[in-house]
Amino acid sequence: MQIPDVKSEWDNEISTVKIGATEKEGGTRSANISVGGETTLPFLHFEGSTPHRPVLAMEVWDIPPDSWPPVAREQIEGVMEDPVEWAQKCEEEFEPDLVCLKLKGCDPFGQDKSPEEAAKLVEKVIEATSIPLIVWGCGDDDKDNEVFTLVSPAAAGENCLLGTITEDNYRTLAALSKADGHKIVAESPVDINMAKQVNTLALDIGFELENLVIFPNSPALGYGIEYVYSIMERTRLAGLKGDRLMAQPILANIGGEVWGTKEAKIPEEEKPEWGDHRKRGPMWEATTAFTYLQSGADIVVMRHPESIKATKLMIERLMEGRGE
Amino acid sequence: MPKVKFSVMDRLVDVEVPEGTTLLDAASDADLHINSICGGEGICGKCKVKVEEGDVRAGSTTTLSREEIKSGYTLACQTFIQGDVKVRLPPESAAGQGKILVDEDAQRFKALTSVGVGSSVSYEPLIEKHYLDIPEPSLKDNLSDHRRIYRELRRKKDIPIMQTGLKVFKRSSSLLRENDWKITATLGRRGDTTEVIQLEGGDTSDTNYGVAVDIGTTTVVAHLVDLVSSETIDAEAKYNSQMKYGEEITRRIHHVEEEGREDLQDTIAEDINDLIYVLVDRKGVNLKDLTSIMCSGNTAMMHFLLGLEASNIRKKPYVPNTTRPPPIRAAEVGIKINPRGLLYFMPAIGGWVGGDVTSGVLSTGIHKSEKLSMLTDIGTNGEILIGNKDWMMSCAASAGPAFEGSGIRSGMRASKGAIDKVEITDDQLMYSVIGSTKPKGICGSGFIDLVASLFEGGYVNRSGKLVPENSDRIQQEDGELKIVMVESSETKGTGELAVYQSEIKNLINAKAAIYAGARILMKSLELELEDLDRLLIAGGFGSYLDREKAKTLGLIPDIPSDKVKFVGNTSIIGAKMSLLSQQAYDQSHEISESVTYYDLIDYPDYFEEFTAAKFLPHTDLSQFSSVAVKNREGD
Repeated sequence: MQIPDVKSEWDNEISTVKIGATEKEGGTRSANISVGGETTLPFLHFEGSTPHRPVLAMEVWDIPPDSWPPVAREQIEGVMEDPVEWAQKCEEEFEPDLVCLKLKGCDPFGQDKSPEEAAKLVEKVIEATSIPLIVWGCGDDDKDNEVFTLVSPAAAGENCLLGTITEDNYRTLAALSKADGHKIVAESPVDINMAKQVNTLALDIGFELENLVIFPNSPALGYGIEYVYSIMERTRLAGLKGDRLMAQPILANIGGEVWGTKEAKIPEEEKPEWGDHRKRGPMWEATTAFTYLQSGADIVVMRHPESIKATKLMIERLMEGRGE
Repeated sequence: MPKVKFSVMDRLVDVEVPEGTTLLDAASDADLHINSICGGEGICGKCKVKVEEGDVRAGSTTTLSREEIKSGYTLACQTFIQGDVKVRLPPESAAGQGKILVDEDAQRFKALTSVGVGSSVSYEPLIEKHYLDIPEPSLKDNLSDHRRIYRELRRKKDIPIMQTGLKVFKRSSSLLRENDWKITATLGRRGDTTEVIQLEGGDTSDTNYGVAVDIGTTTVVAHLVDLVSSETIDAEAKYNSQMKYGEEITRRIHHVEEEGREDLQDTIAEDINDLIYVLVDRKGVNLKDLTSIMCSGNTAMMHFLLGLEASNIRKKPYVPNTTRPPPIRAAEVGIKINPRGLLYFMPAIGGWVGGDVTSGVLSTGIHKSEKLSMLTDIGTNGEILIGNKDWMMSCAASAGPAFEGSGIRSGMRASKGAIDKVEITDDQLMYSVIGSTKPKGICGSGFIDLVASLFEGGYVNRSGKLVPENSDRIQQEDGELKIVMVESSETKGTGELAVYQSEIKNLINAKAAIYAGARILMKSLELELEDLDRLLIAGGFGSYLDREKAKTLGLIPDIPSDKVKFVGNTSIIGAKMSLLSQQAYDQSHEISESVTYYDLIDYPDYFEEFTAAKFLPHTDLSQFSSVAVKNREGD
């Protein structure tokens, strides 16, 4: 039986975003990485090209991650008190593509660390690592604006990915990133229209969409993943069909989501029928990651070395068809 | 000092004045206007007010009737305050100079009197008066008085079924004989039956009035129509006092469920009475000559006024008690016109698409046209209808009261003192005020203009957020951004006029609701914008809305301006047509039956369409290419 040709022709290409700068490029990274550039849906190598494989980032916090369950925490035993050592260990032992430094300690309702402290930490992490860096704010709009005002110039030239801008707070970070040569994460609350709206707002104040990645939020497996799956897929379809405002790489930030679920957290002793939690937790995170990769994610931010390893393997296999 | 409490319609105003002050002066101290043309001499009798409680000393009352004095009426200029008093002022003290273009509507309507021309309808009021010169009875012609009157009426007009109430023919024998067999009969249409609703001595056939009322969720408008000349002779509007039970219909239905139907019924009847009172008072029309009232409004408003069970309208599958109530005696619901006068309703289409849309179709002739039209009624309960003579489909989109100047701190109805147009050129904010006075507030069209201009000038971003970096006028107040339109020194004693961030957001939500409704209706019908031959915009602000600005905001679809037509308050125009033409009234029933009602609430993508439209002009700029081009040029 003849299998019909199901190839689609797409009008547009997803923009390519380069993160990290080598010495030649004015930074200190050993190499930079690129994401995006697809001319087809994920891994459909027979139809179009996927010039850059999806990349994985590993979370590092500026405070000890007390909220993480033991399974996730024990991997970083001994270094989690010191974010610089933690970042170093990540790079050397777990080999992610990027480090994602989360400035949780700056939260005014938490430890309320100062912008100066945050900027100093960013400098140290840059010094101690050689892979590209994502810096993620604490989520409080006003505080993040103060923090990034110092963090962004402190990392100037390194071409970091800074996050996030939202519909309510985008001017400061967009302006800083433009000035200091960074890329930004545009966040929207699980809504395809609002994703586009944030991009439009950034564009309206002169931020080039080629320097931006879309983050539509990314719940864990079992917690609304199918909803975001379809939003990511529709975003990508719109981008490929020619909507310039939707043709950016997509980021999924799943660590905090996955490791907050009972499926990842509850130990075997409490739920013997669910099996070994040391395997279950990483599997939950890896499965969540696979799912988003299939719907269009280009960057996945994760926590557990085992799930990162499994996801990397999966990406390699799926990318093998390249060039055919 | 004695305290004076004035009540004007639904407003209370307190003032303290020295003992011995006249009520007229006290009212003026309280910034309330009482009519008086004799300058306080007690001659003109225009300053009639009602003392409800308290201590006053009244002087001359020659212009008042005994009943009036008994029920507490007095002349404000001749009444001296002795102690604390409560005084009710006539409604016109509350009303500004209405912006409703009586003449324009009247002209539009004159075409109707040209009987049966083109798409027009024939003149034949629902309630008409016939003068009868009846032959006296004799032994040869000894029909009963009752049948004699019917015979004479049938000589004038083909009336198959006639009925008369006992009250009326009880008086007929003496009336006929006292008036030398010359009487005037008032006929009212009730379904297929014609009722003789009153008999009067002599020829009164040249005095017959009706009132058309548009009962909006936020605004109630009444037009006084001379049923003989078919001219609109006056108009008045006010906010719907039901707003105290909730701005949205569903809240009001909830109130009915909790507290019973009386509150809402009484409030709207009272509003209508207030408007009627102002109209007849101003035009010197006797209430007994006001024989009919035609109401047009959304289905819930109809239920509220008639005291019908409304709670099913808000529950799935949103079934109303009725869409076409029969005519009733207006007095039955507490409306004060001729005690035997009839109250009619424009038939509704569904639970959320009311008689106002039927009126809209009737008055714009969509139901007779080959052309494919979209009718958008921009109001609190927005409605959209698409169709032509072969088919019509409509849906409702709840927008909230932002379009009518309500729910905005500086908002007001489109009456004297309202900012109705706004333009920003070279960072200068310019505006025009109705009645060319100092501004008191901003009305719906002004608000739409303002937000569109702010967007064009970059003072709000595409999300409708104010950008404080771009203007000194944008300031922070209690944690919320506002834009100052008019400094307090420039206003008419109302203090600074500002529009707040949350209010701009409300307007954007309102326009998004309307646009999303229109878009879904189009999508469901698999229509493209190019398929539309015309876009008719109905609503209180009529031609005061700026077409281009409405597009800039994304309130109306981006179609060529020559296809966009403002048709005004079609709800009231249709109601007047029906009052004046039985043929039009019959057509309205055909329309209400032939429109398919499409429920947006269950449309799966409604929320998504709504979110997409909550951007200026829209998230999908390809739907607004003319606006997008304009913006780019402005950059």
